[in-house]
Amino acid sequence: MDEPADSLASASFFTGARDVAAGISRREAIARTLKAGAGLSVLSQVGGLLRGATEPPPSPSAPGPVTVTLNINGDAHTLAIEPRVTLLDALREHLGMYGTKKGCDHGQCGACTVLVNGERVNSCLTLAVMHPGDDITTIEGLADGDALHPVQAAFIKHDAFQCGYCTPGQICSAVALIKEGHAKTDAEIREQMAGNICRCGAYQHIVAAVREAMQPTG
Amino acid sequence: MASASDSSPPVAPVGEPRDRVDGRAKVTGRVVYAAEAPVRNAVHAVLVSSTIARGEITAMDAASVERSPGVLAVLTPKNMPKLEYVDAKFHAEKRLPLGDLRIYYAGQHIAVVVADTLERALYASTLLRVSYREEPPVLGLGDPAAKIEWPKGEMTGPLQFEKGDVDAALSGTGVVTVKQTYSTPIETHNPMEMSATVAYWENGKLTVWDSTQAVVNRQKALAAVFGLKPDQVRVLCPFVGGAFGCKGDQWPHTFLAAAAAQAVGKPVKLMLTRQQMFTGCGHRPVTEQTITLGADGQGRLVALRHESKSDDSEVGKHIEPCGAGSSAIMYATPNLAYTHRVSRTNIASATFMRAPGENPGTYALESAMDELAIALKMDPVELRLVNYADRAPHNGLPFSTSNVKECYRLGAEKFGWSRRNPEPGSMRAPDGARVGWGMATATYPAHRFPNQARIRLMLDRDGGVRAIGAAATQDLGTGAYTVFTQMTAMLVGLPFERVKFELGDSNLPPGGVSGGSATTAGVGQAMSEAAGKLRQAMLKRAQENSGSPLAGLTPDQVVFQGGRIVAANDPSRGVELSAVLKGGPAYIEGLNEANPAGADNLPAKQKAYTFQSFGAHFVEVAVDERLPIVRVKRVVSVMDVGRVINPKTAGSQVQGAVIMGMGQALLEETHYDPRTGRVVNDNLADYVVCVNPDVRSIETYFVGEPDLLFNAIGCRGVGEIGITGIAAAIANAVYHATGRRVRDLPITAEKLMRPA
Ligand code: FES
Ligand code: FES
Repeated sequence: MDEPADSLASASFFTGARDVAAGISRREAIARTLKAGAGLSVLSQVGGLLRGATEPPPSPSAPGPVTVTLNINGDAHTLAIEPRVTLLDALREHLGMYGTKKGCDHGQCGACTVLVNGERVNSCLTLAVMHPGDDITTIEGLADGDALHPVQAAFIKHDAFQCGYCTPGQICSAVALIKEGHAKTDAEIREQMAGNICRCGAYQHIVAAVREAMQPTG
Repeated sequence: MASASDSSPPVAPVGEPRDRVDGRAKVTGRVVYAAEAPVRNAVHAVLVSSTIARGEITAMDAASVERSPGVLAVLTPKNMPKLEYVDAKFHAEKRLPLGDLRIYYAGQHIAVVVADTLERALYASTLLRVSYREEPPVLGLGDPAAKIEWPKGEMTGPLQFEKGDVDAALSGTGVVTVKQTYSTPIETHNPMEMSATVAYWENGKLTVWDSTQAVVNRQKALAAVFGLKPDQVRVLCPFVGGAFGCKGDQWPHTFLAAAAAQAVGKPVKLMLTRQQMFTGCGHRPVTEQTITLGADGQGRLVALRHESKSDDSEVGKHIEPCGAGSSAIMYATPNLAYTHRVSRTNIASATFMRAPGENPGTYALESAMDELAIALKMDPVELRLVNYADRAPHNGLPFSTSNVKECYRLGAEKFGWSRRNPEPGSMRAPDGARVGWGMATATYPAHRFPNQARIRLMLDRDGGVRAIGAAATQDLGTGAYTVFTQMTAMLVGLPFERVKFELGDSNLPPGGVSGGSATTAGVGQAMSEAAGKLRQAMLKRAQENSGSPLAGLTPDQVVFQGGRIVAANDPSRGVELSAVLKGGPAYIEGLNEANPAGADNLPAKQKAYTFQSFGAHFVEVAVDERLPIVRVKRVVSVMDVGRVINPKTAGSQVQGAVIMGMGQALLEETHYDPRTGRVVNDNLADYVVCVNPDVRSIETYFVGEPDLLFNAIGCRGVGEIGITGIAAAIANAVYHATGRRVRDLPITAEKLMRPA
């Protein structure tokens, strides 16, 4: 049985309107990736991946490591990484910052949400080399020493998580949502948190936590 | 003399709504899930999966994979080290990975590629060339090529059962009957954390960080398969990013990670992709259930038959016990029969998913009960009250406690059920949408597996006393860390803040699987026994001092209270724990005896009871008239689960289960391509689960009393009961709103738009 090596055109990659919370849409992410000129090997892996293809995919342009300096939670980190490394994998596998989670690697779950210049971004959908000079904030950078960010404190108080795996993404998303200032009602909070899946089903408590953290007195 | 030991009702902080002890670590991103193990220089393994559903591998060419930059090893059936398939009870499948060339399902692992970076391993894995001899796959419950099995044995109750004469009762005069078939699709757990393993070998010893519901079972399975002694294997899993059953049994990837680590002589990290989560660690199988009910004019069930079909792969081991999990238990009837049938197909292997059996079983039975209520023109709550069972119909043993009537009463009151107009389609929302109100009963058995636990008391540097409880159990997001901290504090009489609990490490006293909602009850029992041992040890040490105020007392005659160990009948007679500990060893410990094997580990006196939790869901849906998408507007769920240790975390569990049940009722279905036998929607955009806007208002309540016949703490379990009955309550509400009965989940707009 033949399997197209690059099934980028598969519907699953393009459909699904669930990443409302992502700072960039999936289409935009692909466009940006292509613009960065380094995305082909990533893309060739995304679709037909891991399925014992009978035909070899076109040979990659064998990119070597490049040097990039990322500004994460106020600290500069210089990395020599291949251009195809996503921001998510750069954080987790190259910097050992595991607070940011991988839940799908396809921009479909929000677990990997981080803040880039204050905007929420699915870090699995963007390449690390695209972010020199950007201000990246992860879950590890939200608290001020021992003092939790109001969203973090509200999550504990309202039991807005169970397993905690979606939580860093939910919290980063909520921090950006509050700054965006578009959500005034519970219904709007729910809508604007729709890109962050919680399989444990803590949604009602997440809304309560965001609502509380949104109060000016917080 | 009051006995301090096994029958006193729990005291604070048990029963208090405490924040999670791991909350701060979770909201700051500092908890460690398996793939985040603090292991240096790990290399990355990527699995290659079969693209065909049935046949044989005829050739594999890994040359270009091996030449690809960074690749360290490629494991295929050709060079996979020979492992022993032993200790079958821990395995999810009847076969070890890469053990032969046969393909049983699409998605079956056929190779492992290890490289220095994840990106290089991923790329290289696409270069493997595989040729197959393909055979037409057997797919679906109706495929005539499927081998059919009628499993014997027990799961909760016997799998094939008949009492009385169902046929004769159904043909009695004046008997109102309902006979309908209900089906549920393949559903996939999809916890947010994909299953992951980090494995390394050191001096012939294997250490594995694994995302698992059972560190000790993993340890035993790995030791058996690799020919090691259990103490040569250590399994760690301090946190699990959700599981719902798919991390319960031993799946092949853990063996492959350990074998890959052996092959490359380095730590290996392997995380399933989201795609592989659909085929690599089980799913809830498809079910088709035919329910036949017969009732007399008062609504009393004279007969109940429940015929259930599910499927599994040829190498799978799962039976979905729909009838045993529902009809065996729920309603009093003199004539009862239920059967389970399994088809062997080329769908990936199935497994337990949150309330296996009870969940699809209650969907079918509770839908049929609603249809019966309509046929009898009875209120659905009334019908259930008329058929209340005070003992389990399948074994005749009384329930240790059952407060299901109180669940109905309180649920109806909180929901406002008395305002329901029974006429379908009679209720409207202000925006014109049709409104429906439905209800259903929830039920889940109480299990407790053999566990050991220990409690240590020690002096802090500041001179204060501290307690550390420990057991090799797991916290799947259930709140286990928190509830066992509460329990430890209660058992040793220290403030919550001075207590810690450790779990998720096979080096700790052996615990059971965190499945079957059994953790709190099983570990709780072990903790309570450990506290007894600790009392004994502390008393002995206290009595070494001549003139001890506790002289002459036996361990049964003392209690821990307010940082002291005191005479139970005279708390003024006692000593400070700190005084007992001072100048002694680093800690004093209580460890309970190893429990005898046996599924539920119940002492003989408990064999006279059925231990079962019950609950009730009340649901309001709104269905738009033109595009009939169903929205769940509000849910009231009332549960009787015995003693609730922490109402805050327990309430969250029930809410989460209700939400997963909403997804089951309205959204979730894993589609297989009927030609190729491959999963079509193996990603989170196409396998649709509830997201935040799907959830409006869910109220949860607990009623009931400590079940001290079941264990010393009086708790049953909370994790699964919430997902039983909820799909039926929603389906019943949809019928009430629209007059349309959808008998195959999920209830989508297309199905509601089909001509009747
Ligand atoms: S959205 Fe990035 S991991 Fe799921
Ligand atoms: S807390 Fe487990 S997925 Fe959200």
